[in-house]
Amino acid sequence: MPQLEIIVDRPQRWDVPFGDAMRDEDVDQLLLVEPFRSIDPSRFPAALPMRGILKNDSRINVYQDGSIVVREGDYGNSAFLVLRGKVQVVLEGLGREVLGWQPSQKKGFVESMAAWWRSPRLPEVRDRLSAGSSWTTNNRDQVEDLAQTRVFLQDVPRVLDGSWSMTLHQGEIFGELAALTRAPRMVTVVAEGETVLLELRWQGLRDLMRRTDALREHIEGLYRENSLHVHLRETPLLAQLPSESLAAVADATIFETHGDFEWQSPVEPYAPGRQPETVMNEPLIVEEGTPCEGLVLVRSGFARLSHRFGDGHRTLAYLGKGQVYGLAETIQTSLNQEPAAMSSSLRALGYVDVLRIPQAVLEEHVFPNVSQQAIQDAAAKHAFYCTKNHCEKQSESLGAEQGQVETPLLEFLVERRLINGQQSMLIDLDRCTRCDDCVRACAATHDNNPRFVRQGQRHGSYLVAHACMHCVDPVCMIGCPTGAIGRDTESGSVRINDLTCIGCSTCANSCPYDNIRMTEVCDRHGAIAIDKTTQQPIYKATKCDLCSDLAGGPACQHACPHDALVRIDLGNLGELSRWVDR
Amino acid sequence: MISFASRRLQSVALTIVVLACVAYWTHWQGSVFEHSAFGTGYLLLAAILFLTLYNLRKKMPIPLWVTSTDWLQAHIYVGFSSAVFFGLHIGWRIPDGFIEGTLAGLYLATFVSGLVGLYWTRTIPHKLARVSEEVIFERIPRLRSRLRAKAEQAVLTTVRSAGVTTLGEFYGNRLQDFFENSRGLRYFLRPTSRLRKSLLAELTEVSRYLSEPERQASELLFALIRKRDDLDFHAALQWRLKMWLFVHIGLTYPLIIVASLHGLLAHLFDGGAL
Repeated sequence: MPQLEIIVDRPQRWDVPFGDAMRDEDVDQLLLVEPFRSIDPSRFPAALPMRGILKNDSRINVYQDGSIVVREGDYGNSAFLVLRGKVQVVLEGLGREVLGWQPSQKKGFVESMAAWWRSPRLPEVRDRLSAGSSWTTNNRDQVEDLAQTRVFLQDVPRVLDGSWSMTLHQGEIFGELAALTRAPRMVTVVAEGETVLLELRWQGLRDLMRRTDALREHIEGLYRENSLHVHLRETPLLAQLPSESLAAVADATIFETHGDFEWQSPVEPYAPGRQPETVMNEPLIVEEGTPCEGLVLVRSGFARLSHRFGDGHRTLAYLGKGQVYGLAETIQTSLNQEPAAMSSSLRALGYVDVLRIPQAVLEEHVFPNVSQQAIQDAAAKHAFYCTKNHCEKQSESLGAEQGQVETPLLEFLVERRLINGQQSMLIDLDRCTRCDDCVRACAATHDNNPRFVRQGQRHGSYLVAHACMHCVDPVCMIGCPTGAIGRDTESGSVRINDLTCIGCSTCANSCPYDNIRMTEVCDRHGAIAIDKTTQQPIYKATKCDLCSDLAGGPACQHACPHDALVRIDLGNLGELSRWVDR
Repeated sequence: MISFASRRLQSVALTIVVLACVAYWTHWQGSVFEHSAFGTGYLLLAAILFLTLYNLRKKMPIPLWVTSTDWLQAHIYVGFSSAVFFGLHIGWRIPDGFIEGTLAGLYLATFVSGLVGLYWTRTIPHKLARVSEEVIFERIPRLRSRLRAKAEQAVLTTVRSAGVTTLGEFYGNRLQDFFENSRGLRYFLRPTSRLRKSLLAELTEVSRYLSEPERQASELLFALIRKRDDLDFHAALQWRLKMWLFVHIGLTYPLIIVASLHGLLAHLFDGGAL
């Protein structure tokens, strides 16, 4: 008679330390270094001691001269503290070749067919349950951190010649921005001479910050300061400013956070006839009709741009990271020498970080340094023309990236925060024959386990299926205690490391879209894994991984015979409108 | 992104050019006293084998050369072309032999089932999309039994709490069958909303005799009748979409077997190639 259950140890948070395990002497040394010296160990609970965090969530890396520590564009899950030596932070983009980018290895046809052939017939079969599991021998390669970059920059002075860079010395922290905001690295950091760095997994950084006010304030201060310079450089009109003017703009810029960072709590159900108060309850950043006081840049998160219509507000567009609000009005104010009225309201969706540049600063440091043509082009690109019945971009050609999506669809995407999805599974039900070829293709590429459900939120004939959307802001990553869920360094897709997942369900509960499933796992004979202590089944978090190791991309999209299914960035309205209008 | 209209235009143009070339070639063969039947026969067999390959592609875990959409497009236009190859092959005459007749019948049945499938796959999704809720075919029986349980619970509660049986009797006489049994084959072949309308009208009619608790329960019954009917509608149309494919693929195998036999016999009695 086959065995029905297999008793195993439940995977634990620190089964797999971050890199090679730190020795006790290393931890002792670290505790003598700032900022750890000032941290009170008694503020940490017994289950999560400070020593434990340093021992298991950090590692000491030695970099030779010219080694790239982090690359611009990579997704990173860790921050760095300079223990010895110094690093160069390159603020201007270096070429991909210089940074050693290489296409990732994908499974070939034969390899994919072999994997398909070997797929177990039972669902959710695991050969290994955790990195320390005794089911088979431990394979450390499978649990390696995704964010290890070891590329050397040859001839550093020549490569960095003329690049805008700054030097960080012993005791300084970097990389916290990408680690905390789940965003790609915005700069490249190169070791200058032999450099010793402490790399801190973001879960460890988060736990340290939670219990240390000074460290939290320091990191938040760094975050604001560092992100500000990078962000201003990427803003239209400001990109060409001389360094001294940009510095003046940076000094005068006000950093604001609106809304609730813990926005992953369930979003309210969308209903076409819902009351306008819902929109009105969103935190107001700038109100329509008020005099223009300056430019607002969206630093992170999403904001709704709306126009008063009847007793409610009609959504015109939404602004995401890097987008600008109020440019047309600031220019108009500058030209007319009297404040223009804001043509639309800006409200926080969930949470949003914005930068405000006051009008006086723009007039003193920005407009005099930019050509009239550039100002007019920018104004036309960002202006909306609204009548009582509808709103549209003033310039079709210049505003093409926002696309023309019908207002109800736009409202649906914004209300449900679906704009967060970079690889959402959108199904056109007018073309879908419900053949389930997409589900079968998904199962075939994942050991006979489909990683999505062909149901979900619906607007008219469009269905956003329950498949991981690989969000701009993957809030599922926030609470993961082991770092098992993280971004792929190169593609940015959100992946789960099955061996380090302890089945705590935090990610599944955090996902506002219900796109992560907790599944019981079994061995090849079908025996369900049971925790030795609690006698409860052991779960693993599962979700779409975008077929990241499969040549050609997501199998679901390629398997759809009727062009009904697409993996699409719902934040890109241009792409969406082109797909809708096919 | 290429629009559907452009794609259709390009594919139709390419198909017409290919068919014109094949037609010209057979005409030229005829004019020089060559027999074109073997050429068109092999062309037809190749087309049928290519059409069959699509089913194999659908079972592959990874994209085989091109996407499933591209395969289907090729499948459709090669399928249409095969009808012209077939016409050229039989010389636009009705076959009179037993094997030829059987083969022609199988081909035509497969071709017509393809045409019907094409029509259904282009029209049924619109009808399904108009139903408010999206359901997965395999989950329909479970959803039906949940609806039935809810309906029964609502009625029994009124009987127990209010001690009146008007709604209970109506449920037993008119709604119990509807909630418990599957709709017949006739509905699956031609789903209509006649029963739904009729039951809703009857429930409206009986409402005037209901007590307050029963009236509240009847409101729930209105919603459950609509939901159940929507489920049946989904079940019928999704079943149809699955069945036609079953028939279409099922016809392919005897078609290939008989076509191969026909080719073998043709060569044997031609006294040539074999």
